[in-house]
Amino acid sequence: MSYLKLVHMEVHRFRWVIAALMGITAIFQFGGLIATLASELSRREYRLPQDIGNSSIPAPAPDLLTFEWAMFNTQLWFILPMLLSMAVLGLYVFIIWYRDWIGRSTFIYRLLMLPSARRNLYFAKLTAFLLFVFGMVSFQLALLPIEHLVFKLVVPADLRADSHIVDVIGINQALAELIPRKFEQFLYSYGLGTIVVLAIFTAILLERSYRGIGILYGLLYLGACALAVAFPIIFLGVEVPYTYFYPAEVYAIELAMCALVGGVSVWLGTRLLARKITV
Amino acid sequence: MNTGDEWKEVPFNSRDPVYLQVVRHFKERIATGRLSAGQVVPSRRELGALMKINPNTVQKAYKEMEEQRLIMTEGNSPSKVTSDAEVLSRIRAELLGEAVQAFVASVRKIDVPIDELLQLVKRKYEEAPEHD
Amino acid sequence: MIEVTDIRKRYRRRDVLSGVTFAADKGQITCLIGLNGAGKSTILKAIMGLTPIAGGSIRIDGQAPGPKLYEKVAFVPDRLTMPSGMKLIEAHRFMADFYAGWNGERAGELMRFFGLSYSDRIGSLSKGTAAKFNLLLGLSQDSDYILMDEPFAGIDLFSREAITEVFTSELIEGRGVLFTTHEIGEMEHLIDRAVLLQGGKVERAFDCDEMRGAEGKSVIDVMREVYRA
Repeated sequence: MSYLKLVHMEVHRFRWVIAALMGITAIFQFGGLIATLASELSRREYRLPQDIGNSSIPAPAPDLLTFEWAMFNTQLWFILPMLLSMAVLGLYVFIIWYRDWIGRSTFIYRLLMLPSARRNLYFAKLTAFLLFVFGMVSFQLALLPIEHLVFKLVVPADLRADSHIVDVIGINQALAELIPRKFEQFLYSYGLGTIVVLAIFTAILLERSYRGIGILYGLLYLGACALAVAFPIIFLGVEVPYTYFYPAEVYAIELAMCALVGGVSVWLGTRLLARKITV
Repeated sequence: MNTGDEWKEVPFNSRDPVYLQVVRHFKERIATGRLSAGQVVPSRRELGALMKINPNTVQKAYKEMEEQRLIMTEGNSPSKVTSDAEVLSRIRAELLGEAVQAFVASVRKIDVPIDELLQLVKRKYEEAPEHD
Repeated sequence: MIEVTDIRKRYRRRDVLSGVTFAADKGQITCLIGLNGAGKSTILKAIMGLTPIAGGSIRIDGQAPGPKLYEKVAFVPDRLTMPSGMKLIEAHRFMADFYAGWNGERAGELMRFFGLSYSDRIGSLSKGTAAKFNLLLGLSQDSDYILMDEPFAGIDLFSREAITEVFTSELIEGRGVLFTTHEIGEMEHLIDRAVLLQGGKVERAFDCDEMRGAEGKSVIDVMREVYRA
């Protein structure tokens, strides 16, 4: 099936960048974790207990070290690679389209001439992007038990206490943002993110179809999408006095607006790709 | 003929139909004996590649030659130069006629008595080396 | 038959194509001639559905362009159509993966004929080699038609010779070939039909041998008449 082959190809083309991001993430987190634990352990060894209050480490260490404490004190090491990954993936939304037009190799000629519906191209690029996002999130989740293991290896058993994984994720701001505690919240964040990507894809295709004036069309389209999504909250939302609607109704309208923006983006994007795109 | 080299150096002019130039080239070869009666001629593909012309043009040339009965194709076997004596002598006469006509057209501009001209032609013809 | 009827296109407030009509037959080599900027490439791209047109119609054997068209018509643009990072062998696999009409055996023969190496990267190919590889990708599809955009532009003499040889071979036999050029050069004796573009329109379209037979004019002679006037 053409769609799956295209997804495979897109993933294959970007695999080294993602691998590098994963590598950087792992190095930062393990490095941060080990450095933090080592300095804390050596501090305990050489200093008297009353010096604890003057410690440069932001949170005073409890008598027994927990994985939770370690996660709290290594947040910066989590946030930096995460910001980098987000920046790269954010750029990737544009790169995934523009690299096929720009440069000596114009792969878009070939992609548009494949003997299958062009919407496959659109969905393959979207799928590849989402795979990378969720791939990074899963990678982070997979790192946690390994980091816990490292924690146990570095900290002697008599100096540590157990902690729960949910608390661990909750105390590290980076992790808490990445992996929301409530499944609903998870759906909202990533659902909204997907809709943003769909809208940007369509804006890119508007630009690629109409070029100069297409930039304006693209920006107007993004503005319209933002307005549509923000509209229920701004004008009908709970903070508006004398509102006509119940919160549940506003919520339903908001969901409908998001679905509308997503749906229109997919429809317009695939249509542009089929009829208006130009190499 | 199997070497193919001799087909490569055929200069085409741009103002006569290419397929007719190919036909004419065949006639010259037949008249000069470089292609003999009954000899197998190159396949359409071979000739196209050798003379650097497209397969369509070769096809048109072969069709024309078949119509003029210069070559014969029986079933799936390769085309051969005709053995029909009448056709062969017609080709000879045609080329000779054309050459003489061109010659006459060019010497006519020079006012020369026919006897003197014939003498000159006779002497040059006998002097000229045999090749080509 | 590829039929282009009255196609129009504007680009940057200029009429690039203002009613272009012509046809390219199967089994014939048709040459689309025009000076630089005459819209030759745009016509090929429009036939391939790579750029929209403002008016007119395009039919391939009576059908409107669509995804099925890409098995029937191969296009050799004047630029690389595979990612720079790909190796030639990967490009072959890609084509075999996506095109039912990909002829791997012929692709292999052409690799040898053009002297290309499977382990080279697309991005490292010289201009002439890239043109050959582009042509290979088009010729190795079992398509009824093949379109080529300026196959001879800006490449070295020997690459030109190798590519010219393709035009005299069974590789194009029975197919309809439509290619663009801005100078006819050594192709004069190789083409069946010429379509001359001027000012966004077809100025002359003729069978080359008929033109020579009827008026004693070469393609160059007709080009001179059209473009010098």
